[in-house]
Amino acid sequence: MKTRIKELRARYDFTQEDLAKKVGVRRETIVFLEKGKYNPSLRLAHDIARILKTRIDELFIFEDN
Amino acid sequence: MKIKINAESVDKIRIVAIIIVSLFVIVTGTLWSLNSFAKGDIAGAVTGGLIAITILVFAIFVYMRGNKDLREGYPLKDERSGRVLEKASSKAFYVSLYLLLAVGFLSSEGIIKFRDVSQAISLSMGGMAILFAVFWAYYHRKEI
Repeated sequence: MKTRIKELRARYDFTQEDLAKKVGVRRETIVFLEKGKYNPSLRLAHDIARILKTRIDELFIFEDN
Repeated sequence: MKIKINAESVDKIRIVAIIIVSLFVIVTGTLWSLNSFAKGDIAGAVTGGLIAITILVFAIFVYMRGNKDLREGYPLKDERSGRVLEKASSKAFYVSLYLLLAVGFLSSEGIIKFRDVSQAISLSMGGMAILFAVFWAYYHRKEI
């Protein structure tokens, strides 16, 4: 899974800490999300997409085999 | 009437609960250590002391880190840390069943000799705690 969180976060000039506080998670959760090493709950994915003014399917990209 | 408790209050309650439970374990470990020492059981005294010191260090770490996180506006526990905790505890439980089986077998065959039941229970509990710490450290860094 790839994410565009880092790219969109930079667009809105948010740090990882800012985004973590806005969606109510710990900073390391954002770090793992950006690395594509954590599959978030639908609720968290929705909250991040809302903060970054995008859609969930544009934020998380799944590569089919 | 429904009383609403915010996440920060829940985190504060969680820190206080961890500290209280830790204090109970520290007191028990210290009493065990002193009692064993008085009976001349050096192994028991060392085990009790080690448990008390380990939990004391853990409690200080939890208190300092928890306070720092709360001051900075981070939750003490989020969905990822919760998932790590769940996976680590379930794996530690399953693997410790095999550990207990092995301890039982080795004991019945006379390969491991326990002084009494409390020594066997202490070893098993220590093993479970170590397994949980190992699995937690593993899942904390792994993709989940």
